[in-house]
Order: sequence, then C-alpha cells, then structure tokens
Amino acid sequence: MSFLIKKPVTRRAVLRGAMGGTTLGVALPFLDCFLSDSGQALASGAPLPVRFGTWFWSMGHTPNHAIHPDASKLAFLEECMALTPYTQHINYFGQFNSPLDGRPNHVHHTGWVSCRTGTAPIAPGDIPAPTLDVLVSDAIGGSTRFKSIDMTCTGNPRDSFTARNTNSRNAGEVSPVALYTRLFGAGGDANSAAAKADPDLMLQQSVLSGIGAERQRFVRRLGEADRARLDEYFTSIRQLENQLAVQQRGTPAGAACVRPAAPKEGPVGLEIPVAQANHDAMSQLLVMALACNQTRVFNMAFNNALSSLRRPGTAYTHHTLTHEEAVDQKLGYQPEAFWFNCRVMEALAGFIDKFTKVKEGPGTLLDNTLIFAHAETSYAKLHAVDNIPVMMIGRAGGRLKTGHHIVGHGDPISRIGLTAMQVMGLPVEKWGTGSQQTSKTITEILV
Amino acid sequence: MMPVRTRLGLACALLLGAALLTACSRSEPPTKGGPVTVRRLTEAQYRNVIADVFGPQIVVAGRFDPIVRTEGLLAVGASRASITPSGVERFAALARSIAQQVVAPGNRELLIPCRPAAPGAADDACATKFFQQAGRLLYRRAVTADDLAGPVRIARTAALARQDFHAGLAYGLQGMLTSPEFLFIAESAEPDPADKNLLRLDAYSRASRLSFMLWNTTPDAMLLDAAARGELADADGVAAQVDRLMASPRFTQGVRAFFTDMLSLDDFSTLEKDSLIYPAFGLAAAEDSREQVLRTLIDELIAREGDYRDIFTTRRTFMTVPLGMVYRVPATRPGGWAPFEFEEGDPRAGIQTQLSFVALHSHPGKSSPTLRGKAIRELLLCQKVPDPPGNVNFDRFNDPKSPNKTARLRLAAHATDPACAGCHKLMDPIGLALENFDGAGQIRLTENGERIDASGELNGFKFADARGLGQAMREDPAATSCVVRRAYTYAAGRPIEKGERDWMADLEQSFADDGYRLRPLLRRIALSKALQSIAKPKPELSAGGPT
Amino acid sequence: MLTLRRRSLGAGLALLLASAAAAAPSTGGPQTLAYVIANFNNAVYETQFMDECPEGPAIGNDEMWWRGLSRADKDKLTDNGLVQPVDRRFISVLRGPKGEDVCWNPTVVKEPPLRTVQGSVSYGFNLDGSNDDRATPKSCPHRNFVSERGAPGVDNQMYRLLGCHYGWRRNGVLDTFGNEERRNSGRGVILMEITNVTDPRNSPEVRVAFYRAADPFSIDATGRILPYASYRVDSNAGKPRYGAVARGRIVNGVLITEPIDAKLPFYANSAFAEIQLRDMRLEMDLTVSPEGKVQGLVGGYYDFDKWWEYMLKIEFLIATGDWSCPALYTAARELADGYPDPKTGECTAISSAFKIDALPAFAIHTTPVEARR
Repeated sequence: MSFLIKKPVTRRAVLRGAMGGTTLGVALPFLDCFLSDSGQALASGAPLPVRFGTWFWSMGHTPNHAIHPDASKLAFLEECMALTPYTQHINYFGQFNSPLDGRPNHVHHTGWVSCRTGTAPIAPGDIPAPTLDVLVSDAIGGSTRFKSIDMTCTGNPRDSFTARNTNSRNAGEVSPVALYTRLFGAGGDANSAAAKADPDLMLQQSVLSGIGAERQRFVRRLGEADRARLDEYFTSIRQLENQLAVQQRGTPAGAACVRPAAPKEGPVGLEIPVAQANHDAMSQLLVMALACNQTRVFNMAFNNALSSLRRPGTAYTHHTLTHEEAVDQKLGYQPEAFWFNCRVMEALAGFIDKFTKVKEGPGTLLDNTLIFAHAETSYAKLHAVDNIPVMMIGRAGGRLKTGHHIVGHGDPISRIGLTAMQVMGLPVEKWGTGSQQTSKTITEILV
Repeated sequence: MMPVRTRLGLACALLLGAALLTACSRSEPPTKGGPVTVRRLTEAQYRNVIADVFGPQIVVAGRFDPIVRTEGLLAVGASRASITPSGVERFAALARSIAQQVVAPGNRELLIPCRPAAPGAADDACATKFFQQAGRLLYRRAVTADDLAGPVRIARTAALARQDFHAGLAYGLQGMLTSPEFLFIAESAEPDPADKNLLRLDAYSRASRLSFMLWNTTPDAMLLDAAARGELADADGVAAQVDRLMASPRFTQGVRAFFTDMLSLDDFSTLEKDSLIYPAFGLAAAEDSREQVLRTLIDELIAREGDYRDIFTTRRTFMTVPLGMVYRVPATRPGGWAPFEFEEGDPRAGIQTQLSFVALHSHPGKSSPTLRGKAIRELLLCQKVPDPPGNVNFDRFNDPKSPNKTARLRLAAHATDPACAGCHKLMDPIGLALENFDGAGQIRLTENGERIDASGELNGFKFADARGLGQAMREDPAATSCVVRRAYTYAAGRPIEKGERDWMADLEQSFADDGYRLRPLLRRIALSKALQSIAKPKPELSAGGPT
Repeated sequence: MLTLRRRSLGAGLALLLASAAAAAPSTGGPQTLAYVIANFNNAVYETQFMDECPEGPAIGNDEMWWRGLSRADKDKLTDNGLVQPVDRRFISVLRGPKGEDVCWNPTVVKEPPLRTVQGSVSYGFNLDGSNDDRATPKSCPHRNFVSERGAPGVDNQMYRLLGCHYGWRRNGVLDTFGNEERRNSGRGVILMEITNVTDPRNSPEVRVAFYRAADPFSIDATGRILPYASYRVDSNAGKPRYGAVARGRIVNGVLITEPIDAKLPFYANSAFAEIQLRDMRLEMDLTVSPEGKVQGLVGGYYDFDKWWEYMLKIEFLIATGDWSCPALYTAARELADGYPDPKTGECTAISSAFKIDALPAFAIHTTPVEARR
C-alpha cells in the first residue's frame, strides 16, 4: 500500500526556499521517515507513524518548587507532583535561555515565540517565522486527512500558538462538540475508504482543483506581498484537496482506533473547572484521532498567554495573582498562583495519561509520539524568558531516550526545537536567527 | 499655504452660507496615493454579502478564522490576512452549505433565473446565466468567459454525475464561493488621466471600497452598473452613488460596522464575567450592552446629526430590562429597547461610562483602571501606550500587612516608581476616574468600605469624576483627530501613508468646520481623491506586478 | 463633602445609592420605589420541638381514610399495603358515605377535631384593634396571640388552623413549591409601587399600590431572581387589573400601611388564586439585604370562600401537604374571626399573616397604545 500522495502538497510550501532562517530540503515521503528498526507496524502492515504535537501553558513554574535542581536525575517537586508517575516518559530541559539581541521582551509573547520559532519578535504581536509545529506538519502532515489539529481550552479561538507568520495564525478549536463533528461526525467509519468511489468527494475535489487552476490568473495582478499571502491560501486549497483524497482512499487505522462517543455541549471559558472539562474532552478526542490516523500533528493550548484562568466567585485571575499576590514568607512562594500552576501541571499529566492508555504495537501511543510542552516564561512574576521550562514527552517511535533532566547552561532555547524537528525526521541542520541560531542538537536524548 | 486656505475658507463661508454640500471649494490637498489592498472578507462582511445576494433566509452557520487587529482596526488586518488550512476547510464547508440551500426548492425559484431544459441533465445555458448573475455580485465586477468556464464545467460534470441539474449547479456555486475572487476583495489600479504620476482605483475597485465603507457589504447592482458605465470615473457620478448609499437605511449598518471595529466590540464574544460576583451581568446583559453603544452612537451621530464630541458627555442612551438590572434604572419597554436619559449630574454620561466600555475593559471579577485607561488612549484617542517592560518587578508593591482597599491606593506605586510611572501616568489617571464603575459596570461609591476618589487629569484638564473625564475628552483634540484617522484608515483598509499627512490635517479641519458631524466626514472621505489614489509601484526585481 | 458629592450625582442616583446603603437626604421631587414579591409564605411561628402542637401534627387525609377502612378493604385497596399515599390520594378523598369527595363535601363525615396551634406566640397584626378574646363589631370571639416581639392582641387564626400541618411548616413544601412555580412561570406576581417618597428612611405620607406584574422574573445562572428588573403593570386598556392603593408612611426605613380592602394576584401550585384581604396591612423593612432582598409581613382577614376555593384547587396536593378537609373545614368555620355575617353571625373571613421577600424593581406603566403592541 502506498502512502505517497499523488500531488505532493507540501512540495509547494517547502520549495519556497529559506524562510525565517530554516533551510529545508524537499519534503520526504511518509514511508522513509518512519521505518523503525523494531519494525512496528499498523494494523494493515504499514509502519506505525510518529506523531508530533505541542502543549502550551502560561505562567511558567514557581521557582524552586517545580523541578529538583540535581540534573543527574529527573525529579519533580510539589508543583509538578502530578507528573511524577510519568517521569520515565519525560525529558525536562532547564537553563536554556532566549537571548534577545537587544529586541524588547514583549511580555507573555517573546518567550513562546522564541521557543517555537527560534527568533525573538521585534514588534509586539509579531511571529517572525513559522512555529516548529507548522514546519513539522508541512513535512509529515500531507498524508493524513488533517494537516494538524489545533485546540484551545480557553473558549477563544485566537488563543493559539501555532502560526506560519504574524498574520497567518491557526485558530484553535474551542468546542469539543465541534471538534468531534470535524473529526468523526461525517457518519460511519472515519477510516474506511469510500464504499465505492464517492461522487461527492470527487466533485468536491474538482471544485478545489478548479480553484487551483485560477491561481495564475488571480495572482498576476497582485504585488509581491499579496502574492505570498495568496500563496498560502492556495496551499491551503491544495491541502483541502489532499484531505478529500485521503478521505476517499481511506486511512489505515491503528488497532486501538475506536470511534468515540460524542461529547455533550457545554460551556467554554476560563473558569478552571470549565477549562479542565474542555481540555479533558478534547484530549480524549485527540488521542482517538491520532490512533485513527486522522492527523499526525496537533497543538493544544491549555490557557492563554495572559492566563485568565480563575476560580468561580473570585476576582483575581491566574495572571494577576502572579503579579499582585504577596510571596508568603513561610512558604517562600505565592500560594494562590502556585495553586493554579499545580492545576496546569495536573492537566498536562492528564493529557499524557490519555496517550498511555492507547495501545499501539508493543507499547502505547505515547511511545510513538513526541509532545513538545512548554511555557512562555519561567517565572511569571518577572516575565523572565530565560530558563523557560520545556519538556519532550514520549519516545517518538523509539528515537528518543526519556527520563532525563537536561541542563542548557545558558544555551539558546532553539536547541530544543531543533532537536525535536530532527527527531521528527526533518532534514534541518540549523535553526533560528541571531543569537538563537543554532546547529547543536541535544544528542544526550537521542537513541 | 495657510493664509490661502483661510482666505478660501472665508470666501466659501460667504458664498455658500449654510450649504451642507462638501464641495466647498477649498481644494483637497494632493496625496501620493497608497497601495491597492487585497482584503479577506470579514465574518460580518461575508454574512452581509450572502444575505444580500441570496437572501436572509440562507443560514450561514460556521466559524471564521480570526483576523489580527492591525493599526487599531480589523479592516487593516484584513488586508494582511491569509487563509489557513483549517480556515479554508471552514470556508469550503460554508460554501457547500450555502450552495445547497440556494438550489433547494423554495429558494431556487427566487434565486435561479432560469429553469433547465431537463431537470435531470446539465444545461450550460441556464448555468451560465445563473453564474453570470451571481458572479457579478459575488466577484464584485463583470464576469468574464474565463470566470464562467470553471463553474459551468463543474456544474455540467456534477449534473451528469448526479443526474440533477440543480445539484450540479450547487457544486459550481460552491466553487465560486470558495474562490479567491470571492473571499478576497482584490483591488486593481489603472492610470489616472488627471495625473501621470499616480494611478487610481479602477471603477469596480472603487465601487467595492465605497460599498464596504458605507454599507459593509458587496456593491449592489446599481453601484455595479454605475461602475460599468464609467460613471465612477468622475466626481458627479461618484457623488450620486455615495449620496444614494448614505441615504439608504443600510448606511446605518455600515456605520455600526465601523464603530464595532474602532471600539473593538467583537471582543464581546469572548467576554467573561464571574457570575457569582456579578450575577446581574449575564449573557443577555453582555449582548445588550454591545447593542446599546451602537444604538447610542447611531442615534447621536446619524439620527440627530450631532457633534461627535458629544458622545463623551451625552446622557441619552437606550435600555433593555437586562441592562436596566445592571444600571438599576427602569426599562420602559420590557422585551425591547426603550430610550433612556440619565439625570443631570449622573456620572453615567458618555459612551466611556457605558457597560460596553467599562465592563469590556475590566477583569472578570473586578475593575481595571489600567485596562480602561489604555482602552481610552488607544481606542478613543488613538494614542499608543508602550508595552510593559519585561523586567517589571512587583515585589515592593506587595505589602501583606496593609492591604489597600481601593484601586487608587493599590496602583499608587505605579505613579511613584520611575520604571512604571512613565507609561502608567498615561493610563491610570484616566482609568481611575472610572472607578465608580465596578467590573461589570455597576455604579458604586465605595470599594471595600473606602470612599472612591475619582478625580484625575487628562492632558492638563483636571476633573473630579467620570463626568469630568467626559468633558476632558470632549475638549481633547486627539479624540476628534482619532475618529477622522480611523474613518479614513477603515475606508482605505491600510495605514495612513506619509504623503497623506496634509490631507489628514485638511480632513480634520473640515471635520471641525462641519461641526464635528459624522455624516459630512464620511461623505468627504468617500468622495475624496485620496481614497482612490494609488501610488505607482516601485520597480520590482522579480517579474510581475500590476501594469 | 459627603452631602455635596451626593447632590452632584443627581436625585435618582442618590436615591438609588441611598436605599442600598446609608441614609442621605435626597433632592428634587418625591420619588417612586417599586418592589416585586418573590416569596409569599404563610407566617408560621415554630418552636424547635413543635411545642405549639401538644397533640402532635394534624392528621392528614390519608390517615383518616386508612382508619376508616376494614382489614379486608385495606388489603384490597392498597395491594397489601404497598401502594404509597400519594397515589391513593384520588381514592382516599372519596370517603363520604355515598362516595363523595370529602373536600368538596366536607361536612358529610365527622372527624376528630383538628389539632390546632395551642402556643401563645404568632406573627401577625392586631386586626380588630382589641387585645382580648371578645367579639368586636368586625370580629367573632377568638383567642389572641402575642407577637414574637411581645406585642399583645395578634389575630392570626390562619396560623392556628394551619400551624400544625407539616405542609405549611418550615420543611413543608406547599409554600415552597408555590414560590418556585411562581418564580419560573411569572404568574400571579405582586408588584408594589410606593409613590410620594420624600425620603427612603422617613416619609410621612406615601401611597402603596399593589399590582400584578405583566413580565416574568429575570433569573440568574443559579436560579435566583435578580433585582432592579423592570415589570409592566398588568393593565387592560390602560387600567391596572389589580391596583388596590393603601396610604402609608416610612418610619426609620420601615414601610407601614393603613388598612384597606384589597385583592392581590396570586399563583401557586398550579392554581390561580386571588387573595382577598380585608383590613390588609403591610409592614416592610426597606433595607436591602446583601442578597438584594427586602422582607416584610402582610396580613388581613382572608375571605373564607376565597381561601377555601384555593384549598380545593390544590386538593391534588393533599397527601404532600398532609391535611384532612373535613377536620380543617370544620375547624376553620369555628375559628374564623373576621366580619360576621349579619344574618347568621358566622364569621366570613380568617385573620392571617404572610411573610414576604421582595426585590427592588421598576414598575412600568404603559399607555393603552403601547400595551396593545
């Protein structure tokens, strides 16, 4: 069975040349990336795909209460207690910095942008290069129905941290019901090939290819900048065409693929119980979507960059607490802010747990995934962008060693993103700009 | 230059007296033009267009990719926006749903101008007729044979596959609704016969700019006809269309869209208030408060042709029962909207004291002088407040032994610490004047038992409370300059160019001369040469670009 | 400085803030206050161990019926005792000698006398003006109560009748269900409008009108009724459908009205009932609690026929409320103490008192034209 797509959607995107400091070659076909030595396979006999995703949280950690400073082992402290059962699956990266080369520290923004793009933004709100998940999905997202699935638990689709550039940000799904409908709602089995060649799908593809054919005529009259924007639109059209093609020929499902029950309609928003409930519901749908190979790339945002998480009936949000709450002299930290940080880590633990519950091959879905989890600051009170906590969770199909505490000694945080992309098979040797440009892979965690 | 203008201005006043016509022969300062824009349709525009072209009975159910606010407006962000893969997925799904509704029985009789020769087969002639009619309105220009070829071919293929003309037609229409010709308002320029150094928008592009500015929807048939006939190439032709558009009730829709953008009212869709702290501020109150400010603005500025500056001091507004519960005033038309006027002396005067301002720019569970001050600076005065520095340290402000009862006391450190004062003095004194309004906009005299001091200062103008703030804003030239600049930026869909400075100054002067009335301002912008002037592109290294 | 700032706020706002907080003189002309009544409960004075009912709670219909059955009948009708009283209620009232419904024909059976309240304390008003048990021109002889504050001469025969029934006591459901139904449906809601208020703490001469609200309550996410909503006065061609007006005064924040004859709208337990009160009085503390409510007491002579009409309408709740019609009716006829019939001498009304919770509101008078829209 061939997974090579007829029209290489990603080719257009990657042949554009150097963008934002990333040099990419031609996208590699699916198969070559994912043959692993141990010969894990899909139910149909094809190899198990490796998935990549990000998990974003804001407000960082409470210093001295999150991770044990001894780097010879990985040990979580009170705030990250919930992660302890999953220590063996996690690599934790500390003391990696975001040198700004004189660019301003746009609070709650520069940190995550540096981490995800390898470049510090100049103007507020800028995203100067594609986030690493976009690069990964350009490379490996073409063979599944969805190039990536982006979710946010805040109720606001603008709270997403995945973008190609400042003006092209991927909006997050906020509603579990809407996500379910998108992933599984077409009725019947989302994986099986159309019973006979479905005329509707073919006609839809004709419609889209007709639009593609208009491209020359339309862009002829545009200026350079506008052309680049429309280029992205046409790429998106091709991606949709590809999605239909995949739908048409069907996707081999993992053995654990089970169509989940439809979630119930509920509120969205930033009250802690609401965010937790939506995170839980969408995480559950996500792992099934991954098991069913509907996508291989995902992005989950637990809270927004300015964490407006709050407890019902209280006036203070997580973010305002990190600034205005007094440090308790006995405890040595801000107790209410700490409480919120603990809830965030619990959510991450719950997320990881769902991956461990899906059997795949001799192991679990988590073994075939790389979750890139990070924050936008290390200590929210000070808006510090050095030592931003980053974790890689999962063994990425056997390519990663886990359970390590890696200390960066001030190296740029782009080393982590570079390593993650290389693990995912992207032929990238250098990433980032200015002082964040790096080619130093973190080899300690590679198999 | 100044004396000439003043002389001309005087002559104008003498000759024309109380004439309201704006062609008051003080000539518009020339500009060097700006770029053409290629704007993605916003959600509101998309919905308006579908309702206008196919009727309000068509259900448009879906979510739209958010547009990034740029230079204070989504209208400018639209000219930078592309469409992501998930965005295209959504537009395609919408297109499909709309197309299917259009061809359904019940709608097809109204919307498709012909019947197929045979209902179960293709009919190129009828398909062409339909796509031509719809395409003109959807693509906002005359459709060419090239435009029609694709949809007609798809309609034919699909009709044969489906053995159903109308089902086939739906696919063709779906393609048009997913096409960049529809989703992007792409302007083109042509040489300007009056000035060889400039280009100008071509007729259809001009029609689009005017229609989206004044009605926030696609140009209607009459406007397209005027473009086709070349009438938009001369001032009288444009004036006739502009006057027609502004006389229509749809003009209100356009003005509402403008203020919705300028005041960032779309943020209401994600506004959260804690239901335990503010039980009266539920969903109904939030929705009504967005509508309230728009009604207030339309009433003051369009219906009453009032002075723009009065929006900061007016005591007139509109109430519903949910709003009445938050304001604690009677709503005399339960189930609907009733005019309401606050009493003389009530601090609840001016749009900056309405819920749409004070509740929107607050935290879910408490007020925020800083957010409100920032919003007034940025949304109403068009003054940028710098971002907070990364290394801000709050240690010294947290003294657990003496909790400060009011916001003014809590923020006192903002004013004294040199690292903070520079920016916070731009925001806090304004926002503190609004502290008599809690996080949901409900009025209060005390906070935690301590009397609230709502005094402050704006650009030298001192005041004792929110009413005084309104007066200060009324007197501040930045307020009127702001709406002028926003209105032009909104119409052009791009930031103001350097070469447009003189034109801006002239526009601001005219606004003042017209008594700060909104209608003449918008008319002046719509008729201006500046709005249609396109700069010649610099030569590019790569091939291509408009010729 | 305090006063100056208040004045600058405008009369309406000043009144608003003053009524919510500390006293302040208002300026400008007389003001109007309005309230909508949320909870309307029989004012039942209870002690912890039900001391006011020495014989125990009143015997309900089901038990009366049960007592009258033979062993064989008991087995037959109750399927060996397994069927619950609530389902039996439709048969258990049909226990007249000829199978009559004993609520509609309460005198056809004789029951042991109703267990009535024997305590000495009750909420209520001194309706007949007398502190002793003797008749007056408007009342029949009856025992008086002492108020919870020690004031003698309280007339509340309704309490005497109902006070030993669980259904009307604190844990009982009749008034609770009624309030909930009224909250959800907006039916039978009393809207009060107080005009000519010169000072919300002390006004010598106000007028209090009792209307029916034509608009439903506004309810928040937790089911609470929200204050400061606007309600149209239910009117027909510009004339309010209810609209009894009493004279009154406000003394130290408490509203007190003069007696009037009034019809109040009422709806509870799926029954519309007009509460027809003679010598109706109201006492209401206008200080708004932190939950946004004001509390008061309304009382008067409740017209017997109107009251029994309501009792018949809620007959279907007889098992839940647990009363027995013959005993209750007989006792009510004996204990009724208001307005003797000139011919028979029997009193035609029962002294009563009701506790009310009300919320600040706005009463909207619409013109006939507007009302038609």
